[in-house]
Amino acid sequence: MSENSYNASNITVLEGLDAVRKRPGMYIGSTGERGLHHLVYEVVDNSVDEALAGYCSEINITLCPDGSLKCVDNGRGIPVDIHPVEKKPALEVVLTVLHAGGKFGDGGYSVSGGLHGVGISVVNALSTDLAVEVKRDGFHWYQEYKLGVPQKPVRKGEATSDHGTTVTFWPSAEIFETIDFSFEVLSTRFREMAFLNKGLILTLTDERPGHVDEKGAPIHVRYHYEGGIIDFVKHLNQTKGETHKSIISFNTEDKKQKISLEVAMQWNTGFTDSVYTFANTIHTHEGGTHEEGFRTALTSVVNKFGEEWGFIRKKEDRLTGEDIREGLTAIVSIKIAEPQFEGQTKTKLGNTEAKSFTQKAMNDQLTEWFEKNPGEGKDIVRKSIDAAAARVAARKARDLSRNRKGLLEGRGMPGKLADCQWTEPEKCELYIVEGDSAGGSTKGGRDSRYQAVLPIRGKILNVEKARIDRVLQNNEVQALITALGTGIHDDFDVAKLRYHKIILMADADVDGQHIRTLLLTLLFRFMRPLIESGFVYLAQPPLYKLKWGGKEPVQYAFSDRERDGFIQIGLDAGKRLPKDDGIQRFKGLGEMPAKELWDTTMDPAHRVLIQVTLEDAAAADDLFSVLMGEDVE
Amino acid sequence: MAENMNPDKTAAHDRIETVDLQVEMARSYLDYAMSVIVGRALPDIRDGLKPVHRRVLYAMYDAGYRPDKGYYKSSRIVGDVMGNYHPHGDTAIYDAVVRLAQFWSLRYPLIDGNGNFGSPGNDPAAAMRYTEAKLAPLAMEMMRDIDEDTVERHSRWR
Repeated sequence: MSENSYNASNITVLEGLDAVRKRPGMYIGSTGERGLHHLVYEVVDNSVDEALAGYCSEINITLCPDGSLKCVDNGRGIPVDIHPVEKKPALEVVLTVLHAGGKFGDGGYSVSGGLHGVGISVVNALSTDLAVEVKRDGFHWYQEYKLGVPQKPVRKGEATSDHGTTVTFWPSAEIFETIDFSFEVLSTRFREMAFLNKGLILTLTDERPGHVDEKGAPIHVRYHYEGGIIDFVKHLNQTKGETHKSIISFNTEDKKQKISLEVAMQWNTGFTDSVYTFANTIHTHEGGTHEEGFRTALTSVVNKFGEEWGFIRKKEDRLTGEDIREGLTAIVSIKIAEPQFEGQTKTKLGNTEAKSFTQKAMNDQLTEWFEKNPGEGKDIVRKSIDAAAARVAARKARDLSRNRKGLLEGRGMPGKLADCQWTEPEKCELYIVEGDSAGGSTKGGRDSRYQAVLPIRGKILNVEKARIDRVLQNNEVQALITALGTGIHDDFDVAKLRYHKIILMADADVDGQHIRTLLLTLLFRFMRPLIESGFVYLAQPPLYKLKWGGKEPVQYAFSDRERDGFIQIGLDAGKRLPKDDGIQRFKGLGEMPAKELWDTTMDPAHRVLIQVTLEDAAAADDLFSVLMGEDVE
Repeated sequence: MAENMNPDKTAAHDRIETVDLQVEMARSYLDYAMSVIVGRALPDIRDGLKPVHRRVLYAMYDAGYRPDKGYYKSSRIVGDVMGNYHPHGDTAIYDAVVRLAQFWSLRYPLIDGNGNFGSPGNDPAAAMRYTEAKLAPLAMEMMRDIDEDTVERHSRWR
């Protein structure tokens, strides 16, 4: 055996076991359920270290009926030869001397986790009984302990060519609040470990009475993921939609620095940030240097491509880390020779070399991926930009709602509004017309007691496509909102509505229809209750005017069909329709003199109004996004 | 739901019909979109012209602003088009005329312009009251045999 040897000379010694019994919390975290399960992890971690070193392929854990837990691995087996310093078999040293383990110094393990090597001796100290069986060097080897005290020296058993370690322990009920292991907690953790150790087989069996499945057999799970953390990402994103198809993954290592890194990531269509980082298979909940390196590189790469592909044009539009991580599921698993974990719970990695290593690896690999997969890369950039837009919009909306007084209220009515005399909203009407051309006719033709007119210059801003700050700065939008008086969004107050009939009067041509859709979008998005309560109407100006010859009265038609109908009836009745100018088609409201406009469209006695109703708000919402939104396909 | 919220006291005989918001949005937008697609923004594959260009050329042909005659003031051209065929703003029509006369915009300009029609470097043309134009000889080819009823025509309100 060359540098792969792992025997007594690799073991180092540090402290004694009484301290553990006196202050278990200090070593195992707690004496509650969490601490209890930590015992299990300590034992299993030793086997996992064997797996990391490449010698163990399967670990089987059993919850036995008598309350003990048995962990069997097929690694090399804890060494049983005599330790040069302690003069005892290494096995006994490892199990009785605190901080004894193969995790310090060179050889033994190049990469490992574990609680600073306190490991299994702590488990021993806190268990009423512990039995260990090692298969190694051609034989079985046994030893039993009570509360960490060996009952007999290590004894040799029958011959065997197998190798591995089996540890069975009974946690002490005097020390722990509960000694009932939870199958769910353990299986979740083991599944995670299986993801993090590609190819390792982990099984968990519950043989306790009463813990059976539908068929009456003991509950058993087997975790084996050849895809490692890629499978992990797949598993996490299972229930969510994908933003892009493939899972980005890579692994890299630096043998000299003894660091290796595995990353797998994929964006889903959700909004949470699910980045999980691990150091030596320990879940670093509090993050650490590896997570920092990951984040920094991620932010810079995505922004770089966002700019290169033209999605991000100005510096202030650059995406923040939060924008990019929205909907991201990522597993960052680093394995480092001498990990420094910060904090009591050992969930924050402190090694500075981890940051630069992770950052560089991420930079290189992610850049390469984006270059090779521009289609998916663009989907990712777009998602992050959406997140950024939402963030900006939300912030602006909050700011504006605070500054709203200056912008919308306390300013008096807009200059263009030709208001009506009466003040009771129930009686008053507001005509919103297209442009000054129509405005003139409308102002001239109205009944100024109860009809007000507000001309809108040009096509009003599409509020679906513009962000709220830009919308609220637009003059036309401001004028409209002020004229109505109700405020918008959360400040909306229907009691303040100044007109109970809001009539959209646009020209009869296609641009008029477009303006109509734009106005409806504005009302729907900003003052939805107006539509819901039926205050919004569409005016119906006539399309055609039939000027019959002789002294016959003029007829107005509102559609081609109606026109044809009238012509037919008129001709049948013997009326004459002059060739020139007999049929006039109205191109715009400005074409009608004011009086005519009144007679046909504004006089309540003759007009036809179309009230806009809202049946299905959700469907309408969808429709607006589709028609007026960004992705017009 | 809707009607009772709104007792209109001034006119008991207001004819009110209802339409659902979605229906109205879909219909209006579809009309607008189709109109823009068919009759505004996309050139026809047969002649490569958008409706505004076609109307400009036809109006010039019809009014006699032909290559063998002298130049005519642009505002006259715009007025003809606007009044007879294209019910939209004058600026839009004039811009179309200008573009048809620029040799860097069209490989073979269809209008022969006299005066400042802009430059490749984004300079605008002079106002329509200053410039003059007439059809280029090539444009006459487009009009060939048009009097023989070779081209389908619609009423302008299509």
